[in-house]
Amino acid sequence: MTPDHAILDIQNLSLDYVSSSGRMHALRNINLTVPKGKVVGIVGESGCGKSTIAAASMRLLSPNAEIVSGSIRFDREDILSLSEKEIRNLRGSDMAMVFQDPMTSLNPVFTVGNLMTDLLYRRTELSRNEKRTLAIEMLDRVGISDPALRFDQYPNEFSGGMRQRICIAMALLCNPRLLIADEPTTALDVTMAAQIMSLLKDIKNDFSGSILFISHNLGLIAEICDEVVVMYAGEVVERGTVEDIFYHSRHPYTRKLIECDPTIIPESDKQLPTIKGYVPSLQYVPEGCIYADRCHEVLPECSQVHPKETQIDGKHFFRCLLAAANDHVVEKRSPGAAVLPGTDENKPPAAPCDDHLLTVSNVNVRFRNQGVLSAFIRRVKYPYIDACLDVSLTIKPGETYGLIGESGSGKTTLGLAIMRLTEFAKGSILFDNQDIRELDQSGLTEFRRQVSMMFQDPIASLSPRKTIIDLIREPFDINDTSGVDIDSEITRLFDMVGLSHSFKSRYPHQLSGGQARRVGVARALAMSPKLVIADEPTAGLDVSIQGDVLNLMNDLQAQLGLSYLIISHNLPVVRHISDQIGIMYMGRLVEQGRKKDIFRSAAHPYTKALLEGVPQPDPSKRRDNLSIIGEIPSLSNRPPGCEFHTRCPHADELCRTTFPAPNDLSPDHTVLCHYPL
Amino acid sequence: MLFYIIQRIGLSVLILFLVLLTLFALIHIIPGDPVSIALGPRATPEIEARFIEKMHLDKPWYEQFVVFAVGALKGDLGEDIFTGQKVSDIIFSQLPYTIALALSGLGWAVCIGIPLGCFSASYPNSLLDRMLGVISVGTIAMPSFVVSIYSLLIFAIMLNWFPVIGAGEKGDLIDQLHHLVLPAFAVGLGWVGYLARMVRASMLEVLSENFIRASISFGIPRVKIIYLYALKVAILPTITLIGIGFGGLLSGAVFAEIIFARPGIGKLIYDMVEARNFPVVQGSVLITAFMFIFTMLVTDLIVAYLDPRLRKKL
Repeated sequence: MTPDHAILDIQNLSLDYVSSSGRMHALRNINLTVPKGKVVGIVGESGCGKSTIAAASMRLLSPNAEIVSGSIRFDREDILSLSEKEIRNLRGSDMAMVFQDPMTSLNPVFTVGNLMTDLLYRRTELSRNEKRTLAIEMLDRVGISDPALRFDQYPNEFSGGMRQRICIAMALLCNPRLLIADEPTTALDVTMAAQIMSLLKDIKNDFSGSILFISHNLGLIAEICDEVVVMYAGEVVERGTVEDIFYHSRHPYTRKLIECDPTIIPESDKQLPTIKGYVPSLQYVPEGCIYADRCHEVLPECSQVHPKETQIDGKHFFRCLLAAANDHVVEKRSPGAAVLPGTDENKPPAAPCDDHLLTVSNVNVRFRNQGVLSAFIRRVKYPYIDACLDVSLTIKPGETYGLIGESGSGKTTLGLAIMRLTEFAKGSILFDNQDIRELDQSGLTEFRRQVSMMFQDPIASLSPRKTIIDLIREPFDINDTSGVDIDSEITRLFDMVGLSHSFKSRYPHQLSGGQARRVGVARALAMSPKLVIADEPTAGLDVSIQGDVLNLMNDLQAQLGLSYLIISHNLPVVRHISDQIGIMYMGRLVEQGRKKDIFRSAAHPYTKALLEGVPQPDPSKRRDNLSIIGEIPSLSNRPPGCEFHTRCPHADELCRTTFPAPNDLSPDHTVLCHYPL
Repeated sequence: MLFYIIQRIGLSVLILFLVLLTLFALIHIIPGDPVSIALGPRATPEIEARFIEKMHLDKPWYEQFVVFAVGALKGDLGEDIFTGQKVSDIIFSQLPYTIALALSGLGWAVCIGIPLGCFSASYPNSLLDRMLGVISVGTIAMPSFVVSIYSLLIFAIMLNWFPVIGAGEKGDLIDQLHHLVLPAFAVGLGWVGYLARMVRASMLEVLSENFIRASISFGIPRVKIIYLYALKVAILPTITLIGIGFGGLLSGAVFAEIIFARPGIGKLIYDMVEARNFPVVQGSVLITAFMFIFTMLVTDLIVAYLDPRLRKKL
């Protein structure tokens, strides 16, 4: 392919980040082209240089970045040698970027209209009113309702999904030839992300320019891209068309990455696939193949010879010695194979036991959202918001309950209520047939030994001033542990969660996310609890590590007979580990049942939407229509009738007026819906 | 928003009441017999009796407080013990000088300090930034009376550019402004450095935000990003600071007022404490407290106006 057809052409780019602790070789010999009118995806785990490529393409690099070699050409112009003024003229008018976090990407003190019309400052021939009209048209184009009205609102009056739409509108306003989307849906909920993806696909169809789409999620890449670049630790390990990558991938890393994607893992009782080890430090880049020490097909020469980029056919390139050898047989994936299989029943059912370890019945948790005085003056009769409403669930010993919901659905609040870390207004929670509200101080201490919590952010939930050994010792210091050999207990915990003993004197920030998560698991299990509440145990972890953590949790459950309550927004992740699943929407459990009920015969339209909201890492399974529209209503202003009717495709008059009674489809399967699917 | 304003005003009234109470208590806790202190040893018993009656000193303290508070609410702050002038008249004759000094002193500090801070933040760790840093810390560390004396020595006595003392002829605006220059310079110099440091710090924080990176990626000119997009966010904490500063200068410009022999509230309070002229002290402290609280209220409203996030929450 001649570079003439390329809107963005990166050749042999190497880039270092220089800091006082040394040089990090963040990008090494990157080759990448974005053809005109195509969508090119960059996929890879965190820290492998995806965003650095995006930043370099627009020359938005941080000051400590240093380009060592190579060139970046935008439509034949050398980006790296342009003057500051020339590059500024390209930005916004010829190339534009959509960032990851829409909540922080809009200036909070200017109206949306102000921000948008400012972008048109180069078009001096337009009057104020014409700019306004253009901006309002663009807001309408990206699906903002009442654009003329919302034009004068500030960013804080929009939800996350809406803000991302505005960011996209801003990027498209000057009709750029290259749109760079850096993880545009990562910060959003499943249903919002699906809506943004649908918008991007829509734009792709009538947009004449090219798109560079960056994501860690193979499903999203498969859904929108024409060509894919797979990155690992600052190198492009494989690139080609989307079919090349998903069906004929040659590099072991690409294949492993697809295998690890939680949506296609076939069986739940098997160990989940993982990639062993961690991404290497980029300060001292090994001589041989960068992936050699994690590769499952490594050859002796891999650690000595750095593989050259090899072209196999057309646009398909890769860097691997093994795959370059002619006799190497590649198992090919065929389109549509092994994707979202029905879950099997291989996992032995939890110990046959009728006793419930945890019984939550009709629990309401509410938070005051207005002060006494303010509520009185404003005549608010109910100055609360209900974070959990009439939630009932049971967990048996040895069982895993997966609690799924979008942000703000009340799932974490429920977890806190079960730990009695927040008070609940109504209902009861029984643990081991003991009402947890009746516990006195000593009973509560004992209760919290038996129920422990793994908090959301693996690193932030560990005190940064304590060493790992102190962190793991902490539960022993808090609880009465006379007669226990603490040192041997700590050694046991280190071995149990697979932490190297060399970590004992390190601090949390020196660990990777996966390692910190293991520390969290060890802390939760220190007191040999019966129930572990795990809040988003895999959020923020790369797919290759996610499986690792879930495998560990599974193994420990088998060894220790634990019960888990796993709180997550990610359906595919909990599918492999849960026995029961509950779906939360606006503080209510709208559907709960055995795993097979949920995955094979989801009855609530919301559950169905969540299931369909998960993109598949297979280009032949692209979603073409949206199963759910609109946004979650405000908790302080609940819709009448069925609370989901505002977004439900099947809603009718009954749904709009009458709240549905719990509908038992089978003894284990309950749904809050008038018309279960 | 309306609710917020009502709430803030209610809170201000409460604070003012507490100020009133504290002031009242302070003057009555001070040891010594107010009568003999005020009138001196040579007062006749008749004069003393008249004084006691006039000042309500024969009544229990809470009745005295009610008289004082009710009077204050009506705008009657009592009379000067010595001259019998109304305290409110005395204060209002001095207040304009203080307000002029505080406004001009802070005004020039704001005009210089904020751009300097922006400039430093846009070239962080450059030579100029470091030099500005050293100068800023220097001006912050230098007490305003030192600045006052040096500026008097240099600009008034050696160079003879400005008058040495006083506030200028009444009614002659040019002359008054001429007299205002040196005190305003002395009062504001420390604030230049302080504001520059503050603005630099919050600018640096804002400039690293995602929305600034987004603005750069849209090709918005750098000057506009720094002086409009970033400054409008970064200025918010500084506005609160300026409000506190203004309130503080109402009574805190006392050094400059004494050195330059200017009339003003600070100097008034100082003189009247020396003379044990309690009604005037009470009245002027009350007025400064009121002005301070009012300034803070206005500052908070300005910040709420500028920050839509805050406005929405109210």
